[in-house]
Amino acid sequence: MASEIHTEAMDADRTSPTGGGEHSFRVEGVSKSFRHVQALEDVSLAVDHGEVIGLVGENGAGKSTLLNILTGVLQADAGQLYVDGEAVTFTNPREAANYGVSLVHQEQDVITTMRGYENLYLGRELERFGVLEKERMREDAQAFVDELGINIDVDDRVRNYTFNERQMLEIAKAFHVSQKSENPVILLDEPTAGLEESGREILFDLVNDLRDRATFVFVSHELDEVLQISDRIYVLKDGERVDTTTAAEATTDSLQQAMVGRETADEYYRVPDQQREADLGETAMTVDGVTHEDTVGPISFSVREGEIFGIVGVEGSGKQRFGRLLAGDLDTTQGSVSVGGTTLQNPTVSDMVDAGVGYIPKDRKSEGLLLYQSVLVNTSLAMVRDMNGNMPLLDLAAEEEATLNAIEELAIKTPGPNALVHGLSGGNQQKVVIARWLAQETPVLVMDNVTRGIDVGAKEEVYRLCRELTEKGVSIVFIGDELPEVIGMSNRIAVMAKGEFVGEPFDASPGNKPTEEELIQEMI
Amino acid sequence: MSTSSVSEWITAQREQRTLQDWIQDLGPFVMLFGLLLVFTFTTERFFTEANLLDNVAKNAVTLLLVALAGTFPILQQSIDLSVESVVLLTGVVTVVLIAQFGMGLLAIPLAIGVGMLAGLFNGLVFTKLKVPSFLVTLGTLSVMAGVGKIITGGSTITFRNPAIRTISTGDVLGIPNLVLWGLLIYVATIVLAFRTKFGRYCFALGENERVVELAGAKVDRYKIYPFVLSGLLCGIAGVLLTLRISSASPNIGSGLLLPSIAAIVMGGTALTGGVGGPHRTILGVLVIAVLNNGMNLLGIDSFVQEIILGLVVVAAVALSIDRAKIDVVK
Repeated sequence: MASEIHTEAMDADRTSPTGGGEHSFRVEGVSKSFRHVQALEDVSLAVDHGEVIGLVGENGAGKSTLLNILTGVLQADAGQLYVDGEAVTFTNPREAANYGVSLVHQEQDVITTMRGYENLYLGRELERFGVLEKERMREDAQAFVDELGINIDVDDRVRNYTFNERQMLEIAKAFHVSQKSENPVILLDEPTAGLEESGREILFDLVNDLRDRATFVFVSHELDEVLQISDRIYVLKDGERVDTTTAAEATTDSLQQAMVGRETADEYYRVPDQQREADLGETAMTVDGVTHEDTVGPISFSVREGEIFGIVGVEGSGKQRFGRLLAGDLDTTQGSVSVGGTTLQNPTVSDMVDAGVGYIPKDRKSEGLLLYQSVLVNTSLAMVRDMNGNMPLLDLAAEEEATLNAIEELAIKTPGPNALVHGLSGGNQQKVVIARWLAQETPVLVMDNVTRGIDVGAKEEVYRLCRELTEKGVSIVFIGDELPEVIGMSNRIAVMAKGEFVGEPFDASPGNKPTEEELIQEMI
Repeated sequence: MSTSSVSEWITAQREQRTLQDWIQDLGPFVMLFGLLLVFTFTTERFFTEANLLDNVAKNAVTLLLVALAGTFPILQQSIDLSVESVVLLTGVVTVVLIAQFGMGLLAIPLAIGVGMLAGLFNGLVFTKLKVPSFLVTLGTLSVMAGVGKIITGGSTITFRNPAIRTISTGDVLGIPNLVLWGLLIYVATIVLAFRTKFGRYCFALGENERVVELAGAKVDRYKIYPFVLSGLLCGIAGVLLTLRISSASPNIGSGLLLPSIAAIVMGGTALTGGVGGPHRTILGVLVIAVLNNGMNLLGIDSFVQEIILGLVVVAAVALSIDRAKIDVVK
């Protein structure tokens, strides 16, 4: 392992600038269990003023539990929190905020029908004789965000904000609620999950600009981001802290190794012999000049059986919309798609599924899964469409068989076919989405960021699964934000900009892969 | 927490059911049993075959059909508020077709067809014009009641046709036909909910429409079907009710909406959609039917009965709703 393990004693050497030798925020021996499961065990960490701390671990490693304890949502079974050396107990998020500790949620926590300043003051409105002082709140709010260097109009309704602006508003809110504290601690829970490249840069610039005024704890699955932004990184595994390292000493490999406890591969998809010289079959799908209004297209290409066709592009390049267009979820205003012998003009989702194209959306929670239904219901959701010919009755035995097969083939970790999807880890949830199309042997899959938000081990399994599918002749259109992943997985890669392909697709066969730089040059 | 411990945790949660879970599952049974006990010991006539079959069971059938009708739109996270007006309209149509047009059995499918058309109209406005089902059916609740009342001319209309009446009033081996129809339809709705694609999509749509759409289902169609089914079942209720009393008054069916929704929720179908099903709706129906009958036997003033029924409904719903799944109540 590249990094050395730091001891508590070494951490203690970093005294806070406010003096007194105390950390600005310290967690001592925190444990928490839920019924039979130990979610956190004896976890300690210390943060100094002006530091950015990275917190990484696989899904289920205890990150969320820790964040919830730090902000008073959950109470620890054992252990103690200290703010500026003072022992504190938070029983709710408001108390935590009074001590300057606040959380910026992964799912944005703003009310979109209200204005920016109303969100900023939500629950703490300024009143005079019971009447809201709107003017004062508006002016103070604008001055507040301007002073932070956040460029938003607080008088605008939040629904008009971009995704990025909403996040900026949330960060402003975190500072706002902890105004009383001289040293706010702001916890960022997977803040880059919904962001594309440009949004990430804006966020990181802001964190860098504000690092003298607050302590940031940055939680993310994207290890390169954690390395880029953090001073020090804590690694959690199975509810315990397994490693502390400075960002300078760590690499994505060393972090991964600490997280999963073995040498593993984000590298998986790069290993040359994992991708054989593809033995490509007949043409599976031909896309002929498809266009959506004036935002996407015209785009033409074809995919062969067993081929992975990668698509990359910056935010706004239209790659996500193109995925939706292929799924039949957007109107095809011009052009046509041919799959399995049928040519479709302006198909619906239903038409595309009939023709043999399955779509795996970027956001599995809002578009991919029925979280409070069983693994079985989710797996068979596509196959029930034309089950049993024209008979109205379902073939429950066939559904169960397909589900059990999928659980075995995809190694889905679930108590059984009737367990709710909600209780599965992110990686296993994503496997259920894939299983839905396997269950009816869909020949063409359109995947939009299929490994988003799942941990390293699960990513590796999804890569292997995609490879196995292609060996069976399944074609995959692989849309992704992570360039190394797309490069490693694909046989060919198209770069999108302004809704169209830039030039001819790159050849990305093993031994002949384009570099990230080559792709980026075309992207911008 | 590793993945395997997550599954352990789920299993543990299954094993350790909370008090709330037990109240939800057993509450309606306990309530029904309690009411049966109370009325058996406080009245002489309650626990007799004549009362249980002729009054409780027969009266429960109309409510059962209407509650089953309402279950499917609620499962898919919509709601059909027009149910009682469909009962009124189809009941009136039945009487008019038999009495004024001299129709026989043909009146029955025609009246039920009117109910299905009403449901289809609700469904089409809801899906194609994208008006919330709550508002569409609130509107048609009023419209259809008005149409039905105009047809009656404001007073009770009657027909004479003893042969047709036996469909509702006859019996098989001592069990009233009306009750048999109710049970038959009850079983059919359970099959619909759990063994057909239609039922599966009802549950799925109730949780997340986008997911169902991206899985390739023709979503609009499956959002309309529950309303057509609701119209069908309310039509059957209207026909059976008028055949039973061989007349239709301008206010038949009125007062069914509140108890039917109460029965659905008591049975465990959440107003937030996606969970529950028609199989337990019958429990809520029986609780309300027994309560009504018992209060009548005790000679409780009918206005006081309204108050008690309303309170029981709110209390039962409050106990049976799974608060853990509801963040905000609106």
